[in-house]
Amino acid sequence: MCVLHAAQAAPELDITIVSKGAVGRSGCTRMVQGGFNAVLSPDDSFELHFRDTLEGGKYLNDQELAWTLINDAPKVIHELETRVGCFFDRGEDGKIRQKAFAGQAFDRTVHRGDLTGIEIMSRLLDQTFRIKPRELGDVRALDLLLDEAGEVAGLTMLDVRTGAVAVLRARVVVVATGGAATMYRIAAPAREKTGDGVAMCYRAGLELRDMEMMQFHPTGLLAGESRLTGAVLEEGLRGAGAYLYNAHGERYMERYDPERMERATRDIVSRASYQEIMSGRGTPAGGVMIDISHLGAEEVERRFAGMVARCRQIGQDLAREPVEISPTSHFAMGGVVIDEYCQTSVPGLLVAGEDAGGVHGANRLGGNGVAESTVFGARAGDRAAIVAPERDLRDPDPAQVAASVDRALAPLQREKGPSPFQVTRDLKEAMWEGCGVVRDREGLVRARERIEELTEQAAQIAVPETPQVNNAWQETLDLANQLTVARAMIDSALVREESRGAHFRSDYSEQDNAHWLRYIVARRGEGGETEISLHPVELTRKRPEPDGPPAEELEREDLEEGREDVKR
Amino acid sequence: MTEPSSKKIRVTVSRSDPGTERTFLVERIEPMMVLDLLIAIQREHDPSIGFRYSCRVAMCGTCTLRMDGRAILACQTPLEPDRDKVRLDPLAGLPVVRDLVVDMKPFFEEWARVKPYLEPVEGLDEPARIRPDSPERQIIDPSLDCITCGACYSSCGIADHKRDFLGPAALNRAMLLIADSRDAAGAERLDAVTASDGVDRCHYIYGCSAVCPKGLDPAAAIRRLRRWRLEGRPR
Repeated sequence: MCVLHAAQAAPELDITIVSKGAVGRSGCTRMVQGGFNAVLSPDDSFELHFRDTLEGGKYLNDQELAWTLINDAPKVIHELETRVGCFFDRGEDGKIRQKAFAGQAFDRTVHRGDLTGIEIMSRLLDQTFRIKPRELGDVRALDLLLDEAGEVAGLTMLDVRTGAVAVLRARVVVVATGGAATMYRIAAPAREKTGDGVAMCYRAGLELRDMEMMQFHPTGLLAGESRLTGAVLEEGLRGAGAYLYNAHGERYMERYDPERMERATRDIVSRASYQEIMSGRGTPAGGVMIDISHLGAEEVERRFAGMVARCRQIGQDLAREPVEISPTSHFAMGGVVIDEYCQTSVPGLLVAGEDAGGVHGANRLGGNGVAESTVFGARAGDRAAIVAPERDLRDPDPAQVAASVDRALAPLQREKGPSPFQVTRDLKEAMWEGCGVVRDREGLVRARERIEELTEQAAQIAVPETPQVNNAWQETLDLANQLTVARAMIDSALVREESRGAHFRSDYSEQDNAHWLRYIVARRGEGGETEISLHPVELTRKRPEPDGPPAEELEREDLEEGREDVKR
Repeated sequence: MTEPSSKKIRVTVSRSDPGTERTFLVERIEPMMVLDLLIAIQREHDPSIGFRYSCRVAMCGTCTLRMDGRAILACQTPLEPDRDKVRLDPLAGLPVVRDLVVDMKPFFEEWARVKPYLEPVEGLDEPARIRPDSPERQIIDPSLDCITCGACYSSCGIADHKRDFLGPAALNRAMLLIADSRDAAGAERLDAVTASDGVDRCHYIYGCSAVCPKGLDPAAAIRRLRRWRLEGRPR
C-alpha cells in the first residue's frame, strides 16, 4: 500500500522495496484469514467501531491513531475494491458482505472466504508490475543509518542469496517489517517476523511504547513437534458459534465471561484457556478443544474450507469433531512511537503497521490488523511522497556502517560456537515460561536473566561458512533482533504492575485505571540498558466507561503526576 | 505425540555444493510434513542445507519443491506413516539459487506479461454490485486463490521446456481478469494470451491442474480462453 500510494502521489520518486523474504509473499498480511474491519453500513458508525477498538484495547490506545484507523478503513476497502482489484465476499444483494467478529458490536468484518490475506497481498503484488519499483527480494536490512545530525541517511543491507553487504542511501525510509511474535514456543506468524524493524529502530535510539502488550490468539493448532503447531485457526470460528471445551468436556468460558462466552475478546479467551490448561483441566498434550461440528459438516466445510484443510493435514476433522488447540503468540501491539502520519522522532524515518505502537492499545481486535497495515501503509506512502522531495541525500556515518557490517559478518567468521537453532529454541521457551499469557514478577525477573545469558551465547554463535542462502546465518541475525525486542518487552512488563488487556500479571491481577492509564515507553540508554518512562494516555476523544473513575479526576491526576521517569 | 525414536526416514536431497551430504536418516515425528523433515535436517544433521519457507500454512507459496518428482508445498504435504524414504529436488524449469531454493524470476516475468493488475472500467467508483451467484463469479471464484507458488510452472511440459509459453499460472490470472466485469483491458488481454506464445502452446498434459496445491484448474482456464477467442468474451 505504501509503494502504491507513494508512486501515485509522486510518480517521479525512485522507490526501492527491501525484503528479507519474497516480496509480497513472505510475511503475515498474506496469512490473514479472518478479514478487515471497516464501517460500511449506514447502521454502523465510526463511533461504534472506535468504541469497540478502545474497549478491546482497554483504553491504552493512542486515540488519534485509533481514530485514524477507523476513519481511513472504509476508504482503503473502497480503494482495494475499485483500484487494486480485490474482490471481497458479497451478500445475496451483491453488496460487500460483512461478518461477525469477536469483540465487536456490529458485524463489520470484510473478508474473502477464510483466506482474505491472499486476495489483498496478491492483488497488491500485481500492482507492483504496473508501478515497477526496484525490488530487492531476499535482501535483509541490517541497520538504519543516520547522519551527523541524527537524520535518516539510509540502510545497511545483506543479500541473503549471495552474502554480499551494501549500503542503500535514501531520503526517506519506511520501516514495516512486522512484529516479533515468533519468539514463543507456540507462535502463529511467518518465520520472517523476528522484530527486525523494531530492533533496528531501538538500536537507532527511537522510543518504543506498549512493548509489554503481546497478543496471544486463543485458537492455535497443536500438532506436536511439527512446525504447524501454533498456526491459527481463524477467529471466525468463534464468531460463527464454535464452543471451547476443557478436557472434562466443560464449556469453560462460562466461568470467565458468561455473557460473551467464546465471542469474548482474544485476551480474555486466551487467558481462560491458559488457566484451564494450567489448572490441570487441559488435554494431555497441554491444550483445550474447539468444536464447531454442531453447525453441520457441510456448512463448516463450505464456510471454513481453509481451516478444515489445515486440520485435515494433521489428521483431524474440524467439520465433524473437536480439534485440539492452545493459545499462540500472534501479534505485538507495542512498537515505535509514531504520529498519524507515521512520522517518528527521526526526520525522514517513517514506521507503519505492526512495527508501530499505539493503534491497538492493550489488545488488538480481530480484523483491525490488516486494516492497520493497509491504512497506515497508505499513509506512510502519502507522507513519504511529501517528505522525500523536501530532503536531500545524507552521508551516513562511516563508523556506523562498519560496525553494522562487522556485527553481521561475525558469526560467519567464527569457527566454533553454539548453534543458532538451539539458542532460538531456548529463547522461545524462556519467553513462553516467563513473559507469556500470564506473568508475575518472579517469572519476569527469571526471564530477564535468561535473556541476558542467551544474549551472551548469541554473541558467540558460529555458522557454516557458506555465505550463499545460509539459513543458520540468517537465523543468527534474526535471533539478535529477537533478543533485543524480548528485553524491551520484559522490562516493560515488569514495570506494569497491573493487568490490562493482553498483559496479565498474576501478582497484580486487577486493571487499575486510577494509576495505570499510562503507557510505558522503552528506549535504549547510553550504556545499552533499557530506559523506561511513563506517560499518561491522552484521552482526546473518549474516556473509559462505564466503571472507570470520572474523567475529570483522571485528567487532574495526569496533570499532577506529569511524566514520571524511571530509570532501570 | 512423538513416535518412538526407532522410526526413521531416509531423505535424499539435491545439493548444489560439491561434496555436501545428500542423504540423511531423519527421525520421524507425528504428524510430520515435508517441511518438518527439512527443519530436522537443518537442526540435527547439516545446518548449511538451503531451503526456504515462510508462512508454513500453504499461503505464501515459497516452500514449493519436488518430492519424488512431483511439485508440492513442503508445508502442507504430510509424510505417510509407513513411508521410509523420500527424494527432494528443487522445482524444475527455474534456475537453482542453492540446494532447494530456486529463482522465481522467469515465473513472474510470464505473470507480468499478461498485465496481472486490474484496469478499472470507467465509473468504477464504488465497490461493484455483483451477486455471488452471478455467471462471472461462478467462473472467477473457484480459480481465485493462486498463491504463485510455481508448482504448475514446474510441472508444465511446455513452460519447463522453452521459455516461449506464458504458462498455466499467468494464463489463469489473465482468464480471471478477462471474466471480471470490473476490468477494462479484457480485449487486449485476450489478444495477448491467444498470441503464438499463449494458449495454443498448451498440449493439455494437465500437469498444472494435477499438482496445484490450492486445487485450481489452470488447464480449464486455458480451455476457456480458447473458447472465448472463438465466441468472444463473456458479457
